[in-house]
Amino acid sequence: MNFETESRRRFLMRSGNGVGAMALSTLINPSLVGSLNANEQNRSHPGLPQFPNFAPKAKRIIYLFRAGGPSHIDTFDYKPEMRKFHGEELPDSIRQGQRLTGMTSGQKSFPCVAPMFQFEKFGEHQTWVNKDLLPNTASIVDKISIVKSMYTEAVNHDPAITYINTGVQQQGKPTLGSWLSYGLGSENDNMPAYIVMISRGRGQLQALYDRLWGSGFLPSKHQGVKLRSNGEPVLYLNNPPGIDRVGRRRMLDSLNELNQGTYDKFSDPETQARISQFEMAFRMQTEVPGLMDISQEPQHVKDLYGPEVEKPGSFARNCLLARRMVAKGVRYVQLFHRGWDQHGSLPVKLTQQCQDIDRPAAALIRDLEQQGMLDDTLVVWGGEFGRTIYSQGKLTKDDHGRDHHGRCFSMWMAGAGIKRGYEYGATDEHSYNITENPTHIRDLNATILHQLGIDHKKLTFKFQGLDQRLTGVEEEAHVIKGILA
Amino acid sequence: MNLELTDISWAHHARTLIAFPALPKQAATLVVLLGLLFSGNLVADDKLDFNRDIRPILSDNCFLCHGPAASTRAAELRLDKREPAIAANAIKPGNPSESDLVDRIFSDDPDSIMPPPDSNKKLTSRQKEILKRWIKEGAEYQQHWSFVSPERQPEASSIDQFVAKKLSTVPLNGTPPAQPETLIRRVTFDLNGIPPTPAEVQQFKNDIGGRGIDAAYQTLVDRLLARNAYGERMALAWLDAARYGDSSVMHADGPRDMWPWRDWVINAYNTNMPFDQFTIEQLAGDLLPNATVEQKIASGFNRNHATSDEGGAFAEELRVEYVVDRVKTTSTVWLGLTMECSQCHDHKYDPISQEEYYQFFAYFNNTTDPGMQTRNGNQSPTVRVIPTELRTQLDSLQLSIEAAKKKLAERKDAAEPEFLTWVDQASQKVGVKIKNAEPTGLTQWYPLDETTGNKLTNSVSGAIANKEKGKWQNADRSGTKALDLNGKTQFISNEKTIEIKNDQPFSFAAWIKTDGKSSGAVFSRMDVPQAYRGYDMWVQGRSIGTHVVNTWPSNALKAISVDQLKINTWQHVIITYDGSQKAKGVKIHIDGKLSDNAVEADTLDGATETTAAFKIGSRSQGANWRGGVDDIRIYDRALSTKEINSFPGNPIEHILSIPPNERQAAQINALKQHFFSTVDQDSMTIASQLAEANSKQQALNAKPLTTMVMQDNPADKMRTTYILERGQYDSPQEEKPVNAGVPAALPPLPELAPTNRLGLAQWLTQPEHPLTARVAVNRYWMMLFGQGLVRTPGDFGAQGMPPTHPELLDWLAVEFVESGWDVKHLLKLMVTSGTYRQSSRRSSLQQQQDPENLLLSYSPRFRLQGEFIRDQALFVSGLLTDQTGGASVKPYQPPNIWNEVSLNGGLRYRQDKGKNLYRKSMYTYWKRSAPMPNMMIFDSPSREKCVIQRARTNTPLQALVTLNDPQFVEAARKLAERILTESAETSTRIDSAYQLCTSRKANSREHVVIKNLLEDERRRFTESPENAKQFLAVGESPKSASISEIDLAAWSVICQMILNLDETLTRN
Repeated sequence: MNFETESRRRFLMRSGNGVGAMALSTLINPSLVGSLNANEQNRSHPGLPQFPNFAPKAKRIIYLFRAGGPSHIDTFDYKPEMRKFHGEELPDSIRQGQRLTGMTSGQKSFPCVAPMFQFEKFGEHQTWVNKDLLPNTASIVDKISIVKSMYTEAVNHDPAITYINTGVQQQGKPTLGSWLSYGLGSENDNMPAYIVMISRGRGQLQALYDRLWGSGFLPSKHQGVKLRSNGEPVLYLNNPPGIDRVGRRRMLDSLNELNQGTYDKFSDPETQARISQFEMAFRMQTEVPGLMDISQEPQHVKDLYGPEVEKPGSFARNCLLARRMVAKGVRYVQLFHRGWDQHGSLPVKLTQQCQDIDRPAAALIRDLEQQGMLDDTLVVWGGEFGRTIYSQGKLTKDDHGRDHHGRCFSMWMAGAGIKRGYEYGATDEHSYNITENPTHIRDLNATILHQLGIDHKKLTFKFQGLDQRLTGVEEEAHVIKGILA
Repeated sequence: MNLELTDISWAHHARTLIAFPALPKQAATLVVLLGLLFSGNLVADDKLDFNRDIRPILSDNCFLCHGPAASTRAAELRLDKREPAIAANAIKPGNPSESDLVDRIFSDDPDSIMPPPDSNKKLTSRQKEILKRWIKEGAEYQQHWSFVSPERQPEASSIDQFVAKKLSTVPLNGTPPAQPETLIRRVTFDLNGIPPTPAEVQQFKNDIGGRGIDAAYQTLVDRLLARNAYGERMALAWLDAARYGDSSVMHADGPRDMWPWRDWVINAYNTNMPFDQFTIEQLAGDLLPNATVEQKIASGFNRNHATSDEGGAFAEELRVEYVVDRVKTTSTVWLGLTMECSQCHDHKYDPISQEEYYQFFAYFNNTTDPGMQTRNGNQSPTVRVIPTELRTQLDSLQLSIEAAKKKLAERKDAAEPEFLTWVDQASQKVGVKIKNAEPTGLTQWYPLDETTGNKLTNSVSGAIANKEKGKWQNADRSGTKALDLNGKTQFISNEKTIEIKNDQPFSFAAWIKTDGKSSGAVFSRMDVPQAYRGYDMWVQGRSIGTHVVNTWPSNALKAISVDQLKINTWQHVIITYDGSQKAKGVKIHIDGKLSDNAVEADTLDGATETTAAFKIGSRSQGANWRGGVDDIRIYDRALSTKEINSFPGNPIEHILSIPPNERQAAQINALKQHFFSTVDQDSMTIASQLAEANSKQQALNAKPLTTMVMQDNPADKMRTTYILERGQYDSPQEEKPVNAGVPAALPPLPELAPTNRLGLAQWLTQPEHPLTARVAVNRYWMMLFGQGLVRTPGDFGAQGMPPTHPELLDWLAVEFVESGWDVKHLLKLMVTSGTYRQSSRRSSLQQQQDPENLLLSYSPRFRLQGEFIRDQALFVSGLLTDQTGGASVKPYQPPNIWNEVSLNGGLRYRQDKGKNLYRKSMYTYWKRSAPMPNMMIFDSPSREKCVIQRARTNTPLQALVTLNDPQFVEAARKLAERILTESAETSTRIDSAYQLCTSRKANSREHVVIKNLLEDERRRFTESPENAKQFLAVGESPKSASISEIDLAAWSVICQMILNLDETLTRN
């Protein structure tokens, strides 16, 4: 927010009734719509003064969320030593008497399981990646930083997924995206600042909750808008049947005129807000479907994402849509991909999950790079926790499960000031405990904010007497400096 | 000072232009503004006031390290109390230059300046000056205002006097009264949640003409307070605070029934239950002496919180979380304190230690509800709720049942001679004793003649089958004992020898009685997880048959009878199998008659032995059957036709063949049973009436409605409460148990108060309690004026905002208590005040001097809450269903909202039909993981947690709802039908729509705009009648046939526009 913006706004507000008409004509003149997008001074949702706090590396973020808890052991946190103790009991020296979830705490035996997949070292940094499941991710490993020492205190889905998205295990707090909308505002009046898309995956689907894109105690205008793959992309977006765009425009013109009369009578600025609200809704009705229409994308771009990109609702489609959204100024896109909860039949089910996401995720990085956007777009990949080295249920020659594990797990980040081709943190040979650079999920959130130019301690909202923040009012959180370029 | 003013105007302008709500973030700025307004100029002569001017600065900037929390106190300095602050040389009263505090706050040295740079806190120069001046004036402290009991200040005795007094200090005038049309619409929304009808507006205006505005308005308010809609409107606000929902929130977010509690709230408001009683019953209704069902229902307030069914969760962790939620909700709603801050450590701002937190926690820590909850339905403890109409039905059924029983008994007495005659005749007819030939090869025989003991005996082997689940119930089969499986009962045998092989013959025989609806296993030995390996005798609706399975369905045999079983009639069934591994090798006989087979699997060629146990009434898992069973027999060979024909014997004939003097009492009794149930027509008629009434009664009681309630452990099983280290459930400080109690900074518990929730509730409702009445009064004020007198209604502590009108708040609180906590009285006092009745038209002076309306110099104007917007659309269009209370309903919702997020993705929203589509929004089924989107877009909280103040935003998504949601499109059509039917003239129609939606007629300019649009719309729809047809097809209510489609479509667009007017969506 610069001085000119403030003074212009103040001017607009102070000059009384005449301004209403002026603002109105600005808002509904279609020729000005383009400049509205481009011209930050006219942003109707500008964020807070003093934000960003410093020059941001990232202008936007795409968060690839793997709901259910992907196995870090079978993806990125592999060690060849695991092969040696495959089938052996997990030593007490590793487990250290820590609590297990109710699903395996009654288990009598805890046989360790080495991944039933081939791993290879990829890239300049010689990073172990699952060659069977993540060949495409392996090919971009020089563009990403893998954090292997993530941890969380939660070991069950609902609290854990709420925790990583809001900073608190209980319901009621704002999500990362709503904090960003609140702090940084929106870059595009015709699109929400914060968008969520969901794809199904093929495994056990753990529940999601509206609170995962909710605004908690922040005003609800900051809540994430769920884009849907079937029917209307945004709820209630389409005109009723029988009402076309010309008809709607005509009615809105009359409505604006009547509302202007109300403004003249009551001098309530909220009436002006209402007029612009209807105009934004009208513009959103074309903007959103336009963005959802991938037919305008060149074939070579669609090819990057693979054939699934043609299927609405697929993760591949959502990745491409995310790229289109952020290109239009959407600040934060979170893609939920469900089905990562492999308590049993992990070899088969994890393979299916990875088939869904490997190529599109790598394609997203390449696409962003090709579009020149990777340098100021932050991409985050990960879930709410990891999985246990020991088998849940019976370990057989070709089958096993893994239970939830919060003591360590892996995530990766790319773009926007993140080191390229880097591994951060380490775990013991059982991938059970962290041995180096423990990184709490609060640290992850502090880092995301940092890349967007925000000091996580400064992005606060006074609620119930406290300066609430994403990283919590009590706990320490540290930017993961080690992965910053 | 200029700087702050700039900040304020910016904050306000940003908000108004882009429709930020009043953000608590601006609280600090507003405090500054309050200081400015109420202490006049900064250099005013008025002495500074600690609570108003000083505490907010100290609290926000200093208390984190120098406040009440001992554990985090820095430099052993506390500034929240005078003596320690002086002792530490921070403050030298009267002498700023010798006060360390002044030194440090004015310092330029980053190592010395306070607050320190890394705290993200910074004092403004104005705040520094104020602190300096305060020390100069003597550094007097005051107890925090909200911890001192309110008293009436003598200088004013009405709301308007207090408001005028404050206004005069600026000076600024209030605003003239609102127009009658505006006033009646405002007060009707505020008290009833819907707009007035045009007739009510007219009546009000007439009444004003006749008796004057004051009298007319009094009458109006009384009428509104007497309506059922009043209770609904009040309950709606309470539901947010009580985090009420129809689902359980966490993990699967399964359904629950708490709506009887919701209806209790509506009723409590409508009967004007005093607020102290309202409080006591909701916090401790279950603990009241001889608690009524209603009082128990009320205690469900503290069962509304989120619960979890997640498989791997730790029950105790969850249980503690529930208690934490109850503490938080109770302290927010009744105390206006952020007590939850002390869960992990002493409160940083308010005098609540961690130990005191756990004392308060102890009140809620003794309940019997577990941590892990059910995924589907209510978790105990619950009470059964019998709605009035059901009660009536049940009572009348009970009467018929008793009458029929009496009649039957009388008939039996009267028919004794007829019985004796029949026995004589029948005995002669049967003649000599019959002896059944018993077939060989019997391997299992459960006669099922046991009457109690939960055990069944295999009379061949002597093995026992124990009851595994369900209830023991006997059935009566023509005078012999039989077993009644109620769909839950199942028995498991310890016998490992009962094998059935795929290629060896068998015969199954049993008596069964089915209701024709239940499907399941009469008996089985089948391993469900192992591809259903094994066998069963299988009832499938009205067919009987068997499975013989190696691997279902690829290697299995299933044959069921084409002939149907009779309903509720004992029939004998024999199924034989010849070992051929073919379905045609199965022969099914019902009462001796061979039925054709319906073959559903015929692929068997593998072994069928299994390790699963033999069961009666189910398979290894599930397939529980409901029905009567008797005399189960299994043979290791296929019985011959001859054997089947002579099987089974008839027990009645058998008794009749016994010489009369050898018959035992039980046998005579069996003959009587038989006579009265199959021979004597009179008894049979009465018996069938009785059976019908019984089954109706059973049906009505089958799925009893319950609601969750609070219940404490008995005295000898009390849970001990400990301080939890850092609030962690698994870190109790076991050396330090704490007893239930209340914070020392607040008044002590009343004498003789019990040490439980009831005592806590009595404490809260003591007349002299400094917080309860103030907090409640403030919330009611907020409901009517958009903002509370304390603008942080959930925080009356040091970090909250001080009241804009402290004396008024206290006066109202005392009035509330002294009126006997009379809510209607309080509301009436507020809405009849001149302050409430002001116009919302603000002058530019008011806009400038009082932009946040902190002085109440005009009536606030704000968007109606989402529920009111929808309810208004339904009401003015004539769609609104007039019904108070009842189960929650499922109106229109876009597809895939539930299954997109649900566990396993399969949960569908099943939309209701008919009148349930048009209930008030407060009755909409509230699934908390995916709440109704058209309400969430309008700032409805998800109700996962207690919320007492909603945000009030304006976003484009809201415009999309009111323009495109079928609920609103349909309402526009019905509104159009209404005005077109009621009048023939365009101008009248326009006025009528305006009157319905805004309570006033349209002005001339509005008429012109609308008429122009109407012409355009007519033309548009005339050019494309198909568009009209489609537009009018939205919504499930029928379309009026008497209006031309073009006309109706065009007018529906007009009505859409009128429903979307700023004036319609706003409380003016």
